[in-house]
Amino acid sequence: MGAAIDTGDKKSFNVELNIVPFIDLMSCLTAFLLVTAVWSEIARITIQPKGKSRSNEPPPDEIPAKISVLIQPDMIYVGVSSAPIDPVIAKKENGEYTWSTVESALTALRKEPIFDGRKDIEIAAESTTQAKVAYKDIIHAMDLAAKTGFDGVGLSEPSSLSWRPSL
Amino acid sequence: MPVHKAGPRLYRSVPFKHLAKGGAGSTSRSSNIALNLTPFVDMMTILVTFLLIVFSTSGELLKAQKGLELPKADRKEQLQDAPIITVTKSDLSFQGFQVATIESLLKDENPQMKIEALFLKLDAHGKKTKENIALSSKATDKRAKKACDDAKAGITNNAFLCPEGLVILQADEETDARIITMIVTTAKYANFENVLFAVKKK
Repeated sequence: MGAAIDTGDKKSFNVELNIVPFIDLMSCLTAFLLVTAVWSEIARITIQPKGKSRSNEPPPDEIPAKISVLIQPDMIYVGVSSAPIDPVIAKKENGEYTWSTVESALTALRKEPIFDGRKDIEIAAESTTQAKVAYKDIIHAMDLAAKTGFDGVGLSEPSSLSWRPSL
Repeated sequence: MPVHKAGPRLYRSVPFKHLAKGGAGSTSRSSNIALNLTPFVDMMTILVTFLLIVFSTSGELLKAQKGLELPKADRKEQLQDAPIITVTKSDLSFQGFQVATIESLLKDENPQMKIEALFLKLDAHGKKTKENIALSSKATDKRAKKACDDAKAGITNNAFLCPEGLVILQADEETDARIITMIVTTAKYANFENVLFAVKKK
């Protein structure tokens, strides 16, 4: 690579920059970075063990309201225990749950005064051999819960949920 | 097409004569042909910059597994080094060693939802981790000790979680929810109360 330097005289002279070491370094760096590149970025979703956050606190006088999300093979229930709030049901349509219904239900609960400053939520999936619930649906529910501000997700068995749909 | 006399004619068809003549037209001097490296250097610089930006070390924690597609989520929190429970379409393994098959777990009617083989491995690993943190004087373990003390005091630092009771679950997105519940329940029995679900960023 050449460059002309003006010396102030009438004549200017050409200098040759040795860019070979630069190209060598760039090539090595490119090869190294391409080999070690991680194209799929991995993140995490953390869960809170059930009851851990309350272990050091004295037992409350009355049982606090708790949001329970139950994922069944054909629908998702979003219910609240110990509070007069109607449950929301999100049905499966064309093989996909209506996640927008779940999200709007959680957003509405976020605005409720009883959940002011609260982050805990419990999620359970009821899967059977005949009709299974996939892990990706649990993750989607957890992701939505965290997105709406309930990031203290507790994953539990369906039978141990604070609220369950009554037939 | 004319027929030529047989004989060596390598490179004769390539018209290099104009180069040999040189720009000034003199045939006696040899000519220098300068290769324009500027676009190459530009491209290299852009490529290196891009690769440096996307460089991430979190993926090294998890190994790609056959029959394992991670679910996608919007979360941005990075994974932390911890023992890994892997669930593929056919097997359940802990730290790369097979613990059980998915088929056998789904047939299991244990009402406790506890996977005994996984419990034993987690329990042994948990005790070892606890000892290491208590006895070691390494800087990393000091950081872990501080994180554990904070966690006991109710202070949670999401950037670095206490390694005690911390486990990564790397499961295929189509895994039956019963398997996940069994693993989380077993982890709780073994005092692994912090389960990090590995997900792909959307």
